[in-house]
Amino acid sequence: MRIRPGLWCSAAFVAVLVAMAAFPALFTAADPDAADLQATFAPPGGAHWLGTDENGRDLYARIVHGARPSLLIGIGAVALALLGGVAVGVASARLGRLADQVISRSLEIVLSVPWLLLVFLVVAALGPGSGPAVIGLAITSLPGFARVARAETIRLRAAPFVEAARGFGWSGAQVVLRHVLPNTLGPVLALATVSLGAMIVASSSLSFVGLGPQPPTAEWGAMLASSRQTLSVAWWPAVFPGVAITLAVLAVTALGRELHGRVEGRSA
Amino acid sequence: MSRRFTTTKPAVGAAATLLALTLVSACSPGDGGTSAAQVQPRDGGTLRVAVAREPECLDPHQSPTEAARLLIRPLVDSLVYQDDKGAIHPWLAAEWTVSEDRRTYTFQLRDGVAFTDGTKLDAAAVVANLDRVVDPETKSLLAGSLLASYDSAKATSADTVEVKLEQPDSGFLGALATPNLGIQSPATFKGDPAALCAKVVGSGPFRSDGGFTPQKGIEYTRNKAYAWGPEGAPETRKPRLDAISVRIVPDDAARSGALTSGQVDAATALAPTGLRELKDTPGFTVASAPFPGANYSYWPNTASGTLADVNVRKALRAGINWEQVVKNVYFGVYEPAKGVLSRTTPGQDASLAPAYAHDPAEAGRLLDEAGWKERDSEGYRTKDGKRLKVRHLWSDPSVETLAVQIQASAKEIGVELVEENLDGGTFVERLLAGDYELIDTNFSAPGPDVLRVLFSKDNIPTPERGIANNMARYDEPSVESAFEQALKAADQAEQHRVYTTVQKKITDDAAVFPVYSPLSSLAARSGVEGVGFTSDGSTDLTGIWLAS
Amino acid sequence: MAGILKTVPAGAEAPAGTGRIARLAAVRLAGSLAVLWGAVTVTFLVVRAAPGGTADVLLARSTVSPEIRAQLIAEYRLDDPLPTQYLTYLGRLARGDLGDSYALRRPVADVIGAQLPDTLVLIAATLALTVAGAILLAVAGARRRPWMRAVFGSAESLMAALPPFWLGLILLSVFSFTLHWFPAIGDSSPRGLFLPALALAAGPVAVVAQVLREGMLRALEEPFVLTARTRGISEAAVRFRHVLRHGLTPAVPLLGWITGSLIGGAVIVEIVFSRQGVGRLVLSAVQNKDLPLVTAVVLLAAVVFVVVNILVDVLNWLIDPRTREAT
Repeated sequence: MRIRPGLWCSAAFVAVLVAMAAFPALFTAADPDAADLQATFAPPGGAHWLGTDENGRDLYARIVHGARPSLLIGIGAVALALLGGVAVGVASARLGRLADQVISRSLEIVLSVPWLLLVFLVVAALGPGSGPAVIGLAITSLPGFARVARAETIRLRAAPFVEAARGFGWSGAQVVLRHVLPNTLGPVLALATVSLGAMIVASSSLSFVGLGPQPPTAEWGAMLASSRQTLSVAWWPAVFPGVAITLAVLAVTALGRELHGRVEGRSA
Repeated sequence: MSRRFTTTKPAVGAAATLLALTLVSACSPGDGGTSAAQVQPRDGGTLRVAVAREPECLDPHQSPTEAARLLIRPLVDSLVYQDDKGAIHPWLAAEWTVSEDRRTYTFQLRDGVAFTDGTKLDAAAVVANLDRVVDPETKSLLAGSLLASYDSAKATSADTVEVKLEQPDSGFLGALATPNLGIQSPATFKGDPAALCAKVVGSGPFRSDGGFTPQKGIEYTRNKAYAWGPEGAPETRKPRLDAISVRIVPDDAARSGALTSGQVDAATALAPTGLRELKDTPGFTVASAPFPGANYSYWPNTASGTLADVNVRKALRAGINWEQVVKNVYFGVYEPAKGVLSRTTPGQDASLAPAYAHDPAEAGRLLDEAGWKERDSEGYRTKDGKRLKVRHLWSDPSVETLAVQIQASAKEIGVELVEENLDGGTFVERLLAGDYELIDTNFSAPGPDVLRVLFSKDNIPTPERGIANNMARYDEPSVESAFEQALKAADQAEQHRVYTTVQKKITDDAAVFPVYSPLSSLAARSGVEGVGFTSDGSTDLTGIWLAS
Repeated sequence: MAGILKTVPAGAEAPAGTGRIARLAAVRLAGSLAVLWGAVTVTFLVVRAAPGGTADVLLARSTVSPEIRAQLIAEYRLDDPLPTQYLTYLGRLARGDLGDSYALRRPVADVIGAQLPDTLVLIAATLALTVAGAILLAVAGARRRPWMRAVFGSAESLMAALPPFWLGLILLSVFSFTLHWFPAIGDSSPRGLFLPALALAAGPVAVVAQVLREGMLRALEEPFVLTARTRGISEAAVRFRHVLRHGLTPAVPLLGWITGSLIGGAVIVEIVFSRQGVGRLVLSAVQNKDLPLVTAVVLLAAVVFVVVNILVDVLNWLIDPRTREAT
């Protein structure tokens, strides 16, 4: 398969983002939370090449350090939704018609509530913060994973190698663990990669309305929210974190599509 | 608490909303008020205003918020009027007498006053209003507590009302002057109380037939029959506009943008950056005045934890550079506070200001004395191996910038401020349990009586009592007896004298860290004249007129 | 999301004609009611599980005497045991009574009724913009030259990646605050709707345009296009009249999904643009623990979800004969 240059750019950018999230100190020596009352709203350039915010905090340092909370919520939500979705989907497919019906209905209930409203409810119960945001977003995207896992499990039920395993006298649990799970993983992972971009946007939206990680944690959505109040004084705090989100989503989505395409191609 | 989510976020002091309970009632015309004395006031026109906050319910008897008072003042009149010096003048009550024991007030009502639904104002109407406020069915969130000393009222003739109090209350007339005890048409009390949250009928200079729509606003038209403005009020309080159109716009930038683009004529409570900018922009004017009452302050938990030690409190007061932080965060637009009460509050004692000066050396000395001598690797002070930590609870994202800078300033004297940004429910639980060292809020009020609300032991928030406003959890017998004295005071001068001793004692005990004076403001295009501020410090829309 | 039909047990004898449709409708109705009941129950539990008593949160901004506190608790029955509260609440809902908002002290139906039109107008405007924008973009970008497809593809990827709240923020500060082309306070006039609808539509336009174009590119390879061209029909006419129709088939079901996600997106856009609407209402209601209001909004959203999905399924069923066999 031919690999396009855009894909290389995306892959490289994702690698940079991951490195930023893992080792922010490699990218900047500045403390993202250090307020410098003498240097508030310094414009981009010089010592602060992306400028400073209303507290004189270095924007570049805050964007670098913000990569971790900004990306982790999306990744955590997708991972949690994937795990929960596969468990629910496989259970739905294998525990009989009643369980299937109950699970399907429950998933519909989740789907029937708009995602943001659902996250509001979770945050109302658990309080704002990264943990509740991850849980809330995971719940909203769990049904998608559950449906894919369920469909795959049902398809595999009739697959020859599963029949063969049963013929060898394997138990149901063994069949699920050894054969069904590994084979559902492809499509489920493909779904995970394409939904990651949307999750990053969703989590930054949450932070924007104040339901994500709480200040003074540097987080891209939260940085944009606080920039609104001072927009007439300084444009840079309202622009760069948004660029960071957009680039991250672009890169992650491009990679996800490619992976998705390959998985689809293989399983077809 | 719902501060985090509310669209009612104050552009002024933040955590305030929570308890921005603003009792209130003296009329302070702003020092920034437009001086249009030379120009002849002109009748007519429609004023379009963008207002920052909205009331949950318009009915002043039910609703406690400043937002409700701003929108209700054009619709209802009060029995008496309080001017900016705190003096009381006749309004719907033409005159009154007070009995020897100061427990019976007899009001003689003005003749010829009618509500906008045509009902005549009479003694029975006043009795119906007062009785409704204290009726638990009304579920009043503020007005009821303003009438705490109220016993009963009866109409002794068609236009004479006799009010009996359970005990003398030097704040009674001031309370009557607030919009919260405004007189509404008793005919409207018979219907569904929910309807009053949208539509209120009073005898005010304006009427609103459509009422208030949440998130949208309210439309007023002039009450053409109006001829009973308060005595002692500035000339500007005479209604001149044909109509006022209020839009609710919580976002600071949007209000500012709407004003500069001509979508509205005026906007309340712009952010400091917006105010500073518009002041210097040709074609716009800014009128502003500090809210009377308690300044926006950090309240230390004086009952338990690290700040129960008065020396540590004094060290924080002297060591944190509050003034510099306020200058940074609010661009020099808000005044740094030098005492518990703002300078526009009647009875404020300005002589205590030196006690609130920045003095890091003194702070260091006090902390050494209190035993916080060692330093850990990060430079924070420690005692017995434990770091000097002070937990600051908040639940309103708009305080972030201020909190971050105060935290940075505290670090310079080796104190770690732990910022805990909580959801509303958890915040309330922690507040009631006293599980905190610092909480921030302001509390606007018409006079020094607010000190009782903030420092009386009866107002310490507990799970049994629920939310109350003594967040410093201050309990001092000498101050308690001063509060009793103040209630019984025969005149205002005596009352103010008593409250001066309270301010002194609170300063000695470092029971409050004042930060800044929240600012009431109205930014407008040129040609919007006659802007004033009501007793509670909120913008008075009533007297505005349009020169162009 | 168009999947509710698929959960109907398969293999049942298929009765003919209207009988079958009626039976399908009955099953769907029962299922929908179950979904609504579940949504209400979950909401009730979550709101009650949140920290802080309802009375405390309600009274947070006030000073009240113990009598008034007791009155509030008694009137809203906040001291009843949880199961009693739940059953009372369900009973009232079943009678169509949504109750009074605790914080706003008005019937919930009135409160929502006052805000709903603005939210619906915003969603309708966004949908209209999505359809128009996606068709234009797809038709313009359906070229065989790879570099042109790459240009359009990149533009669409960028649009899909922009967070709507940030796009809104930028649009607002450039076109309203600075250039004054659009009002700073959103209203429901066409000018007031344009920027919020644009911020909300950017993502959906990109997604729908991509799906549309894939269908169109497939159709461009079909013999009938060649036939049309040889008959001298203009290129634009070929694209709009023939090719577009083929591309629409896979794109229509997307609109159902988009409508659902717009309800969520509208909340944030309403905040950014200072628009009145259900979004801002629910944000404060959740924090005020205003159970009647929160539940009513959840119920409303769930009803919209159910109705939209039934419509989408019916549309599919009518357009595409293959889905009929699946049932």
